[in-house]
Amino acid sequence: MKNLIIIIASFLFSILFYDRAIGLNLSIFSLVTIVFLVIYNPDTFKNKTILLQTFAYVLSAIFVFINHSSLAIIANCAAFFTLVGAVSQSSTSIYVQWFNGIYTSIAGFFHRNFDVNDEAKRVDFKKYIDYLHMAKLIGIPLVFITLFILLYKNGNPIFNDLVSKIDFNFINIQWFLFTILGYYLYSNISKPVQVEPATSIDLKTGNELYQSNDFSEEKLKKEKQLGTTLLGFLNLLLVFYIVTDLLSMSSIKTTVASELSNHVHGGINTLIASIIIAIGIILYFFRGDLNFYTKNKTLKNITFSWIALNIVLIILIAFKNQIYITSFGLTYKRIGVHIYILLTLIGLITTILKVIKIKNLTFLFRRNTQVTFVVLIICSMINWDSHITKYNLTKAKAFDIDYLINLSNRNAIMLNELKEDLTISQENKNRISTKYRSHMKDLSQRNWQEWNYELIANLDKFDKTKN
Amino acid sequence: MNVPRNLAKSSLLASIIFWTIIGSKEFDLDLIPIVMLSYIPIFLCVIIVVVGSICPFYWSAKNDIFTKAQIFKTCFPYYTCIAFGLCCYGIFASDCDLYFSAFCISAYITTNQSWVWFAKEDKITSILTALNNQEDN
Repeated sequence: MKNLIIIIASFLFSILFYDRAIGLNLSIFSLVTIVFLVIYNPDTFKNKTILLQTFAYVLSAIFVFINHSSLAIIANCAAFFTLVGAVSQSSTSIYVQWFNGIYTSIAGFFHRNFDVNDEAKRVDFKKYIDYLHMAKLIGIPLVFITLFILLYKNGNPIFNDLVSKIDFNFINIQWFLFTILGYYLYSNISKPVQVEPATSIDLKTGNELYQSNDFSEEKLKKEKQLGTTLLGFLNLLLVFYIVTDLLSMSSIKTTVASELSNHVHGGINTLIASIIIAIGIILYFFRGDLNFYTKNKTLKNITFSWIALNIVLIILIAFKNQIYITSFGLTYKRIGVHIYILLTLIGLITTILKVIKIKNLTFLFRRNTQVTFVVLIICSMINWDSHITKYNLTKAKAFDIDYLINLSNRNAIMLNELKEDLTISQENKNRISTKYRSHMKDLSQRNWQEWNYELIANLDKFDKTKN
Repeated sequence: MNVPRNLAKSSLLASIIFWTIIGSKEFDLDLIPIVMLSYIPIFLCVIIVVVGSICPFYWSAKNDIFTKAQIFKTCFPYYTCIAFGLCCYGIFASDCDLYFSAFCISAYITTNQSWVWFAKEDKITSILTALNNQEDN
């Protein structure tokens, strides 16, 4: 019965994906996968973590249909691997779930093939020999018949004519192979497997930090002195940098793009180096017994002030990036800077939590990877091309029409609607019209598997395009 | 470790997969001599890949404490993930060229199965011994 479910799912896989681009098919595939996993692992779906991962997967599937962007597809794949990994073992860290999910999806069959129960194998061994015999019974005659047909073909013209007339074109072997691929995938995820010893090590590793047996006050006192001195000077240096940065900000000319660009990118480079070194130093000093040293208050306060100053640095960069965006419009790079800033801010907050709650390095990895996954899912929900186009054409002080035209086709309809109100050359208006027509033609030729929200929302426009 | 037996089985498997994929798109009876001859380069490729990338794991790690099964469970997940990544990259980089895609897919499946065959050598030996013992009894 369960094998029949895999066969049905693999046929669905072929119907959805064979010779088709991504669209509605990926959303349907996600729903089919969830139903499939529930059928095979009903007990695991009572777990809250798995329900949450399922929700994330459904959400990403919906946004593949709505946004139809590469980011949405990537988020959907990430959610798929997370869910499969969570079904395999829900209590592990999210990065171990990714690993388990990828491993299950690509090699679960081979793992299970090796990992069969020896007792069961003993019973099935003779059966296995029968299968081998059957394979020989079909394979060997097939090879020799083909070989002899080839030989006889050259010896007799009538036989050659008859053989040449045999047409196997009605059989689509590629479709069949694609269905086998679907069978392989569904067979793999039907019983998710775990990567060992990575999974068991992760399960054993907690988030808490414990006092070691060789706790030495003398050693810790010296280490605290070093930390306080180092972080104290770094605090002073960062204050000085922030003051000079504030002064330089007042002199920025918002009309000169290159100047703004230099400020933002220079700031980002400083930020990357500063945050990495900051987290590294903090992790070094708070790696062990210094967390339990009673006289560590000063060091902790200096650490918090340094993190706070880094947050101020982040805010300054975000502010500069925002000035850049307001003056010259949104681009993927500028959005990327904002997202990087957000992730850095979260990284610093988790570092503060690590120091306050006396957590270990694993805690930081776990929380930060979880946050990254959530940010990825949230970012995939936004139609960036559309937002960039709308913002640049309606709110930004200046915009680069070449950049907007060269974006993906997902802004073609919006550009076409707004083009008459823009003060751009006729050549650019023609380029927008060409882009629009090409996009509408592409949409109208799509099969149902490739549909997306944009296509359904603009059905009325197809006739006009044809005219 | 029975390397020659593994190489023979792996090269046969690789040939079947490689030509099934190619045959699914362009099949011609005239290709059959080439299919037969292609076993030689495929065998060479299999020797290079299996002896160069799978055997060292078993040769270097196998001892009284670390069994083949443990080597498989510890190293195979990482190996397969890297091999999958490389094969996917190869397929996309070649713009889904039929022959190169067939090569990558057959290489991926064959190396995975080769891992399983090596790891199962101990198990099959023990199963056969158990079956013989049962028959003797």
